Amino acid sequence: MAAREPGAAAGTAAPLPITVEAVSKAFGAVQALVDVDVRVRAGEFLSLIGPSGCGKTTLLKIMAGLVPADRGRVTIGERVVTGPGQECSVVFQDFALLPWATAQRNVEFGLLLRGVDPAARAARARGAIAKVGLGGFENAYPAQLSGGMQQRVGLARALAVNPRVLLMDEPFASIDEQTRRVFQDDLLGLWSQERKTVVLVTHSMEEAIYLSDRVVVLSPRPGRVHQTLDVPLPRPREAGDVRATAEFARLVDGLWKVLRKLQ
Amino acid sequence: MTVAALVGLAVAWELVGRLDASMFLPPLSRVAVTWWQLLQDGTLARAASSSLVSLVKGFVPAAVLGVVVGFAMGRFAVVRYVLDGWVNALMSAPLSALVPILIALFGVRDTVVAATVFMFSFFVIVVNTLTGVRGADRSLVDMARAFGATEMALFGRIYLPAALPAVMLGLRLGVVQAVKGMVVGEMLISLVGLGERLIYYGNTFLITELYAVILSVLVVALLAGHLAQACDRALVRWK
Repeated sequence: MAAREPGAAAGTAAPLPITVEAVSKAFGAVQALVDVDVRVRAGEFLSLIGPSGCGKTTLLKIMAGLVPADRGRVTIGERVVTGPGQECSVVFQDFALLPWATAQRNVEFGLLLRGVDPAARAARARGAIAKVGLGGFENAYPAQLSGGMQQRVGLARALAVNPRVLLMDEPFASIDEQTRRVFQDDLLGLWSQERKTVVLVTHSMEEAIYLSDRVVVLSPRPGRVHQTLDVPLPRPREAGDVRATAEFARLVDGLWKVLRKLQ
Repeated sequence: MTVAALVGLAVAWELVGRLDASMFLPPLSRVAVTWWQLLQDGTLARAASSSLVSLVKGFVPAAVLGVVVGFAMGRFAVVRYVLDGWVNALMSAPLSALVPILIALFGVRDTVVAATVFMFSFFVIVVNTLTGVRGADRSLVDMARAFGATEMALFGRIYLPAALPAVMLGLRLGVVQAVKGMVVGEMLISLVGLGERLIYYGNTFLITELYAVILSVLVVALLAGHLAQACDRALVRWK
């Protein structure tokens, strides 16, 4: 496979829209997703939320090209998704770090697989590590880092290839609350500097409202799009005290009312 | 601790031996003197060199083939379905009973010893490699695929390093099994190596010599085990 340099080394590639059309997926006899339609605008921050087992992670993996849909199709920009693509990066719930490699080598891994030469690889990985606030930990192994720091390595690895779409599968689920809040703010800060299309799978209502432009609520098995909520909170949210506002509480409560009916 | 325990055992052996309770329990000091004599007159060196050649001739193919078969079984369901029953059955089978078949196949030659070494060590290497490959973290595979990894890249950059600790454990267990296979094979064909010396001294009631050879076999087993462990440490530093 010819490995193309993904995007420019320094500049930021423009974000791409994602179209999910009538996607269905079954695992054996279990129908995971039925006729799911989602349109993610270019540069939008969109969350997928729903009861456990609603197929939100499956939908994300279909977008990433890791799992084929049974019916329907996913388009990222102009590309119809048939497998993993160069414009996407995925952040995993369990971090998916190579335990035998240092933070630096982990962040270089995506660049390595895409055929970037060693010198450029090292420089871009160092840059990405600094960007997520882990400068100085380049030579640490995952086992030597806390959960939050490990996920920062995961995010740095995703950003190092300069993706136009960032797919995040419950990235903060395995991280403690205080660390999570700081990390969420840092993510919003990074996102405002480098606009990417972000799809975030989460089971936290606060997280979905705090981070997203829109929240897509999926119904339980089989997963369908139940409702889409707009989040009209002003940005930047990370600077102020958005979580303490009445509007934030009202939006979280609105989302809860939708989800409660689905339980 | 280990040293203290060994010294204690040696002292106990020596004391019980000096009671002269049985000809089958000579004092350790006499065994040591005999061991030194056998070393001096070249008996041990001759026997051990023949044994070690068989050990290497049996273990190296077992290691290479065992890892290859283990990987094939780990990665391809078809191979796993075909071989799983055989591997499990032969791993728990009393392999010494199969040595006469090897003698029938190869004749009474040192090839039988190498074949026995192979048979003793192969399956434990296969099973450990298989476990290591199957244990490779699913999300690491997804992660590599998301970055566009080819099958070759998946193998070299995910499955191989992920399985390495289990592979090394298999090789460590395998080398211990190999030494057992070596002695069993040599004793059964009674022609070459340390095993032949064991049979000879046993049948002629040269008990002190017998103990000297048993100690030599232990030394070979310990050295082989330590060598494998050193390789393990050098290759799997991240654990």
